[in-house]
Amino acid sequence: MLLDGLFAGAAYALMAAGMALILGVVKVINLSHGAFFTLGAYVAYALAERGVGSPIAAAPIAAVIAFAFGVFLGKSFVNPVRSHPFALTVGTLAFALLFEQAAQIVWGPHPLSIGAGAPWIGPGGLVLRRWGVIAFLSSAALLGGLKWVLSARPGLPLRLIAEDEEIACSLGMDVETIRYLTFGGACAMAAAAGALLSPSGAVTPTMGRAPLLLSLVVVIVAGMDSVAAIFLLSIGLGILGNACAWFLSPQWSYVALLVAVCLLLSARPAGIVALAGRRD
Amino acid sequence: MTVDSVPLLRLPRVLSGSAALFLFLFSPAFFAAPCVAAGRSETLKIGVLAPLSGPYAAGGTSFVQAATLAVEQANSEGGVSGQRVTIVVGDTQGRVDVAKSEALRLVSREKVSALVGAYLSEETVGVMEVAAAERMVLIVPVAATAEITDKVRQEYDRYRYVFRVGYSLPQWAELIAAFLSDRKVGRYAFVGAGIRWNRELGETLERIAAPHGITPAYTAFYSPGNPAFDTVAVAAAAASPDIVILADPGRNSVSFLKRLRESAPTLPALSVGGALGDARLAASVPLTAPVYVQAAAWRGLSPSATAYVERYEHRYGAPPVGYSDTLPFDAVTVLVAAWRTAGSVESAAVVPVLERGAFPGVAGTYRFDAAHQAVWGAGPAALQGTFVRWERGGARIVFPPR
Repeated sequence: MLLDGLFAGAAYALMAAGMALILGVVKVINLSHGAFFTLGAYVAYALAERGVGSPIAAAPIAAVIAFAFGVFLGKSFVNPVRSHPFALTVGTLAFALLFEQAAQIVWGPHPLSIGAGAPWIGPGGLVLRRWGVIAFLSSAALLGGLKWVLSARPGLPLRLIAEDEEIACSLGMDVETIRYLTFGGACAMAAAAGALLSPSGAVTPTMGRAPLLLSLVVVIVAGMDSVAAIFLLSIGLGILGNACAWFLSPQWSYVALLVAVCLLLSARPAGIVALAGRRD
Repeated sequence: MTVDSVPLLRLPRVLSGSAALFLFLFSPAFFAAPCVAAGRSETLKIGVLAPLSGPYAAGGTSFVQAATLAVEQANSEGGVSGQRVTIVVGDTQGRVDVAKSEALRLVSREKVSALVGAYLSEETVGVMEVAAAERMVLIVPVAATAEITDKVRQEYDRYRYVFRVGYSLPQWAELIAAFLSDRKVGRYAFVGAGIRWNRELGETLERIAAPHGITPAYTAFYSPGNPAFDTVAVAAAAASPDIVILADPGRNSVSFLKRLRESAPTLPALSVGGALGDARLAASVPLTAPVYVQAAAWRGLSPSATAYVERYEHRYGAPPVGYSDTLPFDAVTVLVAAWRTAGSVESAAVVPVLERGAFPGVAGTYRFDAAHQAVWGAGPAALQGTFVRWERGGARIVFPPR
């Protein structure tokens, strides 16, 4: 149960990392994030149909495609409309629905599926969850990389823009360009996650909805400041969801997870990082 | 005089293109349910109610495809007394309120002569009320709840227009119990989406399988919207059943089976009412243990079943799943046959014909009992359906023994 929770949480963290980046730097709630997760899965499916069966090979291709889309969306829509947060949120939701409809037109409503591969069986007949392990390792690598970028010199503009845009502008930074490039980068992360995890389930036009909601929850509760908090909270929610499914009922796991989030937010509206006194 | 064509509000070209695409995709025309009706007075319309959006859109699409195929076949055979037959589709979205309003729309605005549907039991019970109020024949292809036939039995005068071609829950449970007995199963795990027919099927199977010495080792239902597969798969495997029965008509069936294979690679699974009849999905699941699928009909079961599969495959590029397409096909076929026999589409003439007649379909010959339930089961005149096992390169019929 603990191990499965760990794996489930790692999948949430994969999505939450990109969401946190957008929320922190671009300062918008991007409801199209799940659509990029779906895009990554469809890219993996399309490549699998053409003989490229490995999602590890599909992930960078999906990331490049999603980056291009993300930059286009960031430049043509997010940046110009950014001063109207409500319109922007609705707009990103519209884009997500548009993408779902387009996916349904192109690939049909039937679920598609990529070969999951034989299970990994270790010494003594121990069965390892292949896609759980891949999700965990990818998540750790992605979030570790993000943490390194943010704490190193290349991440300085992102940190500065997240902290104070006016100061960043006064220092001569091209804030607009950094914003849409960040938006594209975050979309690429979501698509890579979708491609990596695509063989673990069915590929459908609406498959990005649940990860979107969960990643949004993780980012809101964990806050955008700490990559480690995002990772740990994702893992915690994964284990909590699994524990509820195990001890109560599978149908209660999602409800319990959202109740826990509501309680956390009512206690600490600024996010759990504030518990440690790091921000308020 | 020439007029400067510069617009007051200038949109970037790429945005104006996007806006046009946006407006098209979100226009009522785009979202409107596909309409096959020609609108000519000499055309007989069948209202088809199925979910074309939401979690059950895949099953709903197969439903409509099969119904389309059935009317095409009927028209190629001369229609009904020379009149062409068409279908008008209502998208139920998997919701009771939408199913009822769509049924009302089909009856009052589209002027259909009969209804076929809906998909989920919840939806169908709602649509029954519309059919009863409008005194219109309703053929139920897949919804399995006992409430449908119970209402016909208890309030015959009101609900006599409702007939079910698909199996009832006790019939379904009997078929599964016979298969489990044949496979020497003693303990099973029953898991699936937490929707009405799954819960009722789980309870009915437990009651019907008990005399065969077959008992449930684990039962769990997950939320269709946000399924918690991991725990269910682990817990099902930990209960050490001989087989996992997976009751899910939607996209989650393949996801669950993949998770199950990661937890218990050698545990057999049986999919009922699910998407795992789709060869493309089955090919993506590791076959380290048997994967069985229950179907109303399958290629090779009978000449009519093989002909149907080939026609479907030729038309839609993929073989049918054998459940959410086959039964709607037969529902339309039975309705058209009853119209032909009655020489009328009036409910008063069609109901007695359906009650007394025998109607050949893909799954076999349909006869209805006093509760207007098609007779499925192990009897000689009953429809039996089939169980297939996926293997590399295709599926093989394993039950009933041939």
